[in-house]
Amino acid sequence: MQAGTSTTHEAHDAHDHIHPPPEGFVRKYVFSLDHKVIGFQYFFTGLLIMFIAGSFAELVRLQLTDPNGAIMSHTAYNEMFSMHGTAMVWLVLIPLVTGALGNFVMPLQIGARDVAFPWLNMASFWILPVAALILFSSMLWGGPHAGWTEYPPISLADGTAGALWCLAIFTIGISSTMTGLNFMVTIMKMRAPGMTWTRMPLFIWATFATALMNMVATVALSVAVGALFLEHVFSVPFFDPARGGSVVLYQHMFWFYSHPAVYIFIIPAFGVVSEVLPTFARKPIFGYKMIAFSSMAISILAFTVWMHHMFPSGIAPWLQLPFMILTYAIGIPTGIKIFSWMATIWGGRIHFTSSMLYALGFLITFTFGGLSGIFLASVPVDLHMHGTVFVVGHFHYVVAGGAVMGFLAAVPYWYPKATGRMLNERLAQLGFWLFFIGLNGTFLPMHWLGLEGMPRRTATYAGFAKAFPDAVFWNQFETAFSFLMAAAIGLLAFNVIWSLRHGTLAGINPWGARTLEWTISSPPPYYNFKKIPQVFDRPYNFDQPLPYRNTDNELDEFPEFGRVLMPIPQPVGAGA
Amino acid sequence: MFQSPSVVRFKGLGPGFWPVTIVLALLSIANAWYFLYGNIDWIMPGASQPVADRASDIDGLFKFMAVSSGAIMIFVAGYVIYFAIAFRARPTDSPDTIGVQIHDSPKLELWWTVLPALLLILLTALSINVWYKIYFGTKAPALTMEVIGHQFYFEFRYPGLKTSVFSKTEPMHLPVGVPVRLLITSTDVIHQFWVPEIRLKSAGVPGLVQSLNFTPLRTGTYDIACAEFCGADHSLMRGKLVIEPVATFNKWLDSENKTAAAGGGAINLAGGSAGTGKTLFAQKCAACHNNPPTPFDQKLVGPGLLHITDDPAHPTLVTGKTPTPEHIAEILQNGFTGPIGTMPNRQANGLSDKDIANAVAYLTSLK
Repeated sequence: MQAGTSTTHEAHDAHDHIHPPPEGFVRKYVFSLDHKVIGFQYFFTGLLIMFIAGSFAELVRLQLTDPNGAIMSHTAYNEMFSMHGTAMVWLVLIPLVTGALGNFVMPLQIGARDVAFPWLNMASFWILPVAALILFSSMLWGGPHAGWTEYPPISLADGTAGALWCLAIFTIGISSTMTGLNFMVTIMKMRAPGMTWTRMPLFIWATFATALMNMVATVALSVAVGALFLEHVFSVPFFDPARGGSVVLYQHMFWFYSHPAVYIFIIPAFGVVSEVLPTFARKPIFGYKMIAFSSMAISILAFTVWMHHMFPSGIAPWLQLPFMILTYAIGIPTGIKIFSWMATIWGGRIHFTSSMLYALGFLITFTFGGLSGIFLASVPVDLHMHGTVFVVGHFHYVVAGGAVMGFLAAVPYWYPKATGRMLNERLAQLGFWLFFIGLNGTFLPMHWLGLEGMPRRTATYAGFAKAFPDAVFWNQFETAFSFLMAAAIGLLAFNVIWSLRHGTLAGINPWGARTLEWTISSPPPYYNFKKIPQVFDRPYNFDQPLPYRNTDNELDEFPEFGRVLMPIPQPVGAGA
Repeated sequence: MFQSPSVVRFKGLGPGFWPVTIVLALLSIANAWYFLYGNIDWIMPGASQPVADRASDIDGLFKFMAVSSGAIMIFVAGYVIYFAIAFRARPTDSPDTIGVQIHDSPKLELWWTVLPALLLILLTALSINVWYKIYFGTKAPALTMEVIGHQFYFEFRYPGLKTSVFSKTEPMHLPVGVPVRLLITSTDVIHQFWVPEIRLKSAGVPGLVQSLNFTPLRTGTYDIACAEFCGADHSLMRGKLVIEPVATFNKWLDSENKTAAAGGGAINLAGGSAGTGKTLFAQKCAACHNNPPTPFDQKLVGPGLLHITDDPAHPTLVTGKTPTPEHIAEILQNGFTGPIGTMPNRQANGLSDKDIANAVAYLTSLK
């Protein structure tokens, strides 16, 4: 053991002293510098906003149970779907998958004591509630009405509310950029000795790819909403064609960010699935290098496809072709991932925990969302599908069926590490079935409704229902199923809080998982690792001892634990 | 102490792998059969009898994608479910049972990179073919007309027609079998002109003109919808498209021209019915003007309209002119923006000539 310490790289010597934990409630839980506490803060803030934004979605669905609009005016409906989209994208998904998961898991998995810039990390988090306050306060002025995209010129009619929307998005953009920078530096500079690039867990690869996009793309969004803000407040005519501006310009800048944004929340979910599948199939991940490579390929290709959101919106026909082809090209790395995950569970020994169910469900729903994306990427077919509820269906298969399913797989997986107790497994599995069935029931019918002629963002659809009478039934069907998803999220929130006190004790490694976070106690101590471990290999070889040395002696100090699902592999040299 | 765990054993690719594969293949074939030979009108409107030439091209591409991605979906979902069942952990397992320790297979990975790539290259070729037809494949258009988006109606301008046709009051007309070019733009915000049966749509962007080219193939009446969010009443921005034989179309054009010539812009107010006007007022005016009408000062959005012609306190209207029936009709027709707000024009309110005559009859009857 001592020999291991002496081979530690010099760069890490600086980290080999342990800071004392902070004292006092405020420093511990409010303005904490600890990445784990910041992860919790992101988690609970994101979950809270998810409830608000989710109830907006249910209001939207309730309105559509009647073709003439069941519960509210057109204006109120427009405000609801705009707030739902904006809050879900910027205040729920990105904070949950990068902020909560990235913050809690990433430093533990690379064997670091914290992120590279803890102060920046704290600032990143505290920008989130500020942005949320700005966004929700815009509802006092009537709220945004032009969807989460807020295209001018229609969004210019939102007045003060529109300006506040710009301000909120600009603010949260600062947070995203800082988090991206922070995570990139952390992953590049603070990995445990011996953890070369090809020995990193795949969740780290995913976080790295995400951080890269967060850092590069968000700037474009900030410019777009900044210009829109100036147009709102000072009437600077960036987007007003009557005064020499361009309407389409905003869409270019917006989608240059917002297409990568979709990958910003889907790639961490890829990372989660790449961790969960091997653990519960008791099998090494299949094609490690190709999965890592495809994450990076997707994150780079993501910057080259934005115009596929704009095929009918005013771009030259010849310009459509490269964007169509590049969008098709993203299908290749995405396919590699799907097939590699399928090969990972093939020949495994599969334990159906709630995490695993979510990961398996993810494979099905995400594949569906990916394939419907290929339809939208094809210029001719898109000319029919663009702007219809088909797009809404596709997008939600990717986001709810991809990013949220990945997140829901991560919660029961890392909850024992975060709290020291297991989530109630029965409730979590019930939650999976509710969510999976609700998701398909809500979003599948949107595909043919859209193709039949139902435009998106419509407060009423009496005209369409006359042409396609089944529309009323299918919309009511979607609304009914959407409440199953809401129930699943409610159940999760209850479970998370209930299990804090009543969950069975987890122990160090309840899943028999092999990444570094499972070698320290649950919850981890303030300093994470008493000694910085050394890494010898990738974490996925289940027939080998754990490839770590210098993991200190905590493995011998097992607390009494409620249950151990699987035997814990011993680290190299432990007891030898 | 690390002990080598016990690794599962099974024959070949797993119990039942090939039968499952055959079932999935059959399902894929059934899916392909359905999309190629079945009636998919409930998925794509008018797929069995294409309404425009580009519709059949786009449907062909759609079917190719539905067949190939349907097969991928069936195999992915089928294998995921099958693997999950076939390779499930058993209660009889010793706690240290693990799966087969395979890390990769360069050959397999090459296949599942190259095959999808080839499929996508084929799809690219097919897509470009249809794309070319859409943008460059139409013979010289015999009818070039303008489609202008407004909040919340479409305006159609035909060559040789002095007045525009508005989607709120009249359908758009197109002749069957004649190549048409629509020049699409907007005057206020972004709209999108979409006829689902024709499959094409294009945004009306303020400051930009885009074109759509196609040849209608089937007569009938079809829905027009705005597919880009354009404001509070976006969902009501719909219209009808009538595709009719060339002779009927020409007759319609003539009658439109005659109406325009006879009216000369002004509306014949004789024969307006105050009773019908009252119903109309409740439907179209009551959102902004109190109903039943109140004196001028009791405003809703617009002023109260009781005593509009004989209010001693307001001998003139907010336009500054005397409230003659002709002047009221002019306001209903063209709208007015003045000191207390904007009255929308007839296109925005969806008022026909007859409607205006009725409304004027009703308003002037309010003493």
